[in-house]
Amino acid sequence: MLKNYFKIAFRNLWKNKLFSLINVISLAIGLSASFVIGLMVYYDFTFDNFHEDGELIYRITTDYSSPEGDNYNSGVAVPLTKAIKEGFTGVQKSTTFFTSEPARVEAGSSAKTFNNPEKVIYADTDFFQFLNYDFLAGNQATALQNPNEVVLTESRAKKYFPNTDFDNLIGETLTYDDSVMAKVTGVVADFKGRSDFTFQEFISLATANQSYMKDQILDDNWHSTSSNTQLFVKLNNKNAHTNVQTQLDELAKEHESEDAETYGDYRTFHLQPLSDLHFSENYGVFDFTPHHADKSVLISLLLIALFLLTLGCINFINLNTAQASQRAKEIGIRKTLGSSKKQLVFQFLGETFVLTLFAAAISILLAAGLLKIFADFIPEGLHFGLFADPVIIGAALVLIILVTFLSGFYPGLVLSSFKPVSVFKSRIFSSNSHATLRKSLIVFQFVIAQVFIISTIMVGKQIHFLMQEDMGFKTDAITYVRTPWLDSSMEKRELFIQKLKAIPEIEKISLGGSPPASFSWHSTEVDYLDGENQIHSELQLLYGDSSYLNLYGIGLLAGRKLRNDTIREFIINETFRKVLGFETPQDAIGKMIDYSGEKVPIVGVMGDFNQRSLKSKIEPMAFVGDWSRQRYSQFNTVHLALHEANSADWSGVIAKAENHWKSVYPGADFDLQFMDETVEKFYRKETSMTKLLNWATGLSVLISCLGLLGLVIYTTERRVKEIGVRKILGASIAQINVLLCKDFLVLVVIAFALAAPLAWYGLNSWLQDYAYKTSLSWWVFVSSGLGILILALIIMSFKTISTARRNPVKSLRTE
Amino acid sequence: MLLELKNIYKWVDQGGKRIFLLKDLSFKVEEGEFISIMGPSGSGKSTLLNVIGMLDDFQEGAYTFLDEQVHSMKDKNRSKLYKEYIGFVFQAYHLIDELTVYENIETPLLYKNVKSAERKALVADMLDRFNIVGKKDLFPSQLSGGQQQLVGVARALIAKPKLLLADEPTGNLNSAQSEEIMKLFKELNNEGVTIIQASHSESNAAYGSRIVKLLDGMVDNS
Repeated sequence: MLKNYFKIAFRNLWKNKLFSLINVISLAIGLSASFVIGLMVYYDFTFDNFHEDGELIYRITTDYSSPEGDNYNSGVAVPLTKAIKEGFTGVQKSTTFFTSEPARVEAGSSAKTFNNPEKVIYADTDFFQFLNYDFLAGNQATALQNPNEVVLTESRAKKYFPNTDFDNLIGETLTYDDSVMAKVTGVVADFKGRSDFTFQEFISLATANQSYMKDQILDDNWHSTSSNTQLFVKLNNKNAHTNVQTQLDELAKEHESEDAETYGDYRTFHLQPLSDLHFSENYGVFDFTPHHADKSVLISLLLIALFLLTLGCINFINLNTAQASQRAKEIGIRKTLGSSKKQLVFQFLGETFVLTLFAAAISILLAAGLLKIFADFIPEGLHFGLFADPVIIGAALVLIILVTFLSGFYPGLVLSSFKPVSVFKSRIFSSNSHATLRKSLIVFQFVIAQVFIISTIMVGKQIHFLMQEDMGFKTDAITYVRTPWLDSSMEKRELFIQKLKAIPEIEKISLGGSPPASFSWHSTEVDYLDGENQIHSELQLLYGDSSYLNLYGIGLLAGRKLRNDTIREFIINETFRKVLGFETPQDAIGKMIDYSGEKVPIVGVMGDFNQRSLKSKIEPMAFVGDWSRQRYSQFNTVHLALHEANSADWSGVIAKAENHWKSVYPGADFDLQFMDETVEKFYRKETSMTKLLNWATGLSVLISCLGLLGLVIYTTERRVKEIGVRKILGASIAQINVLLCKDFLVLVVIAFALAAPLAWYGLNSWLQDYAYKTSLSWWVFVSSGLGILILALIIMSFKTISTARRNPVKSLRTE
Repeated sequence: MLLELKNIYKWVDQGGKRIFLLKDLSFKVEEGEFISIMGPSGSGKSTLLNVIGMLDDFQEGAYTFLDEQVHSMKDKNRSKLYKEYIGFVFQAYHLIDELTVYENIETPLLYKNVKSAERKALVADMLDRFNIVGKKDLFPSQLSGGQQQLVGVARALIAKPKLLLADEPTGNLNSAQSEEIMKLFKELNNEGVTIIQASHSESNAAYGSRIVKLLDGMVDNS
């Protein structure tokens, strides 16, 4: 029986090659999108699922709430780590570690140096009891018990000491930042499963006293919190959660800051489950982990896959119910030969299954391509090989069966309900009786396609708007380079600048902190006493020397420049001026700001500019000098303005600058950034979203149009006789074309009427995220509506015109 | 007695008027009979065959087949009944275009869940008997009308029905082919198969052991 089903399935598919092709392509697109996106979801949801008692492991994080909004920090205050170890009930184990970024490491006997070894942590003695690493050499129990000990992962060990047995590594010495020595006491295997614990070098915590992190690690202040300080606990059991949270709340209350009452700034400790680590938008994973999965992105991706798959299924349903009458005879005969309705439905599902299998085979090839195209979205560890994972294979099979049912069940029911008597008397009205359903499905397809098109145009428009919008300072032909932060010598920075001054192509040079817009920011809190009112405000600080504002083209609206590089004076921006309530820039000059108990005068007001992407509003900001130079200089970045006219020579200039860099900072990497590229990086998410939307739009339009083409071919073929008669009666080709296309164009128009408000609503709420937004112009809607209408017309005309041109004598004779 | 129809009414409502397809029709068939139903177009021949074959419903009356009440039966049991006992032959052959001769003949056995080995034997016997062994891998479109009807008959007989219903079996055939089919029917009847055929032609009807004349949905006793 089964063999028979498959045989006839194959013959039927072969007989209707065009329709089968349309069906296979539509389903293959939907399936490949589902496979790739399913793979991404699977990938992200299988992080750190292999740890012993993983469901009992939590990270303790810090949440802040204040009237201005909520803030989150993945770390905790250092004293909490001790409090947990002493006297917390409900916690069976805990471990503390500090993420660290040494600038360089020298590997013992090989005497090789490596710059910026990534993923280094200072881990306490309990670390290897907490997480189960597999020790390839050394002893798990004693590995980090003493100062100046380090454990390496096998991959890091191979990098530092190639061709050395792990056992022979024990006792080798690593030197961090020329000062901290650590003896290798163990080599552990890299985690086999996917994990966010990607640390490579584990230095015993006691060693940190000798490193640059000493201050932080010994800090006993309950109010300083760094995301470097990571605290993990393992609870006794699931029920201990409430108890532990209560103790944390009590601790937070006990160590509440004075600001809590005054300004409503509260701090709480939060137990973050291990399973949430990979997805937390608020906390991030670890400081040096760039990728954290975004559940909202995954959900939108899943939706896109669902849409594409639905569109494919719809094509299948439409084409097969439309064609049903052609198969009616076979159904009728089978019924008289004793087939039950159920058997016919199964036969039809069998055919659908064969076709879906074809589509799945093709979609695996397409998926390989999609993985390449969407490399931006796809984390590094996700590769094509994951398809061999049994879970994925199982899920794919389930999906194929599901798609088979979704697309095959309804046509199967329609076909199997034919009555043999009616079939033999050729009294079938099927193609009309299911027309309403088919029309609704087409409308649905085109609604999706329309929403995608409108969104693509609008998102593109918004991004164009953001890129075009003036940031408020000069971004062209400006580059900056950060000096090695380990080397705090001002003399070297000055020397480097002196050497750069000798290069004639460099127009201006400035020494300062970060550029006006960047991913890092310094903020502080200040007060201003305006008669009776005390104004409390957050204030961002921008550091730079006397040529900084000039270099970035930021104009002074009132007042003067800073008198020198270290004098305590503020140049505030317009936004801050308004916060303080001064009518004009001139009014602000000479007023005193209360900054950590010190009165600092406002000496100038500068124009507003965006400190971050145009998603966010302009924050109150002050331009300041290098106040704390004695302790720690904020002037760590050299900014260069190049001559805009000779951009062709820039590479030469950069090469020269690099030579000077090498002579001043031998061994350090020269990482020159262009300001305009930095600005573009603000919009990386938007740029990749555009790409995704472009593809989703293209594919959904393709599937919908294929379905439309199939139906038009079918209905036109059925009307050949009518067309012949009309031509004989004198209808022109154009009139016939209108006649044939009219019904479908009406559907496209209805789809537009439904899609436009949907798209408007969605885009409107999307735009709310942006402080600066482009308008939802009417032309976006009209042009996308017209676009798809014209596209549909062109596609239909392929078939309708050729039919209309046929010689009526022939079509009537064959009837 | 094989089957009995008692006071069967079947009608359709068309444009407010009730048109009777079968009107107070009563009809009895004994096992081993070869009945020819005759009558002009529209007299209800096909409708009667469809009702007997359980492909079509009727509004009033009683239908007994092998002592079972067909009119009060569930669809499922009814299909079981005709799958077991009734074979159909059509004027337009109604072979499945996508299946070969062999597969067409085999299909009823699939629906009766006959085992593969037994199927092979039965189909081989049938091909042999109808002298179409050489054509078994051809598709219907590659055969002449007479050959197609032979396959149609072979297919109807494969499940060893008690009753063979044939609606104008020779309507699309030339006289030589017609005669061949009729001779075959006679032979089958002699072997014990009950046959009811609808026919226009007197000569074909003459092969039957009894002729029933229909007019306007009623048995014409004149």
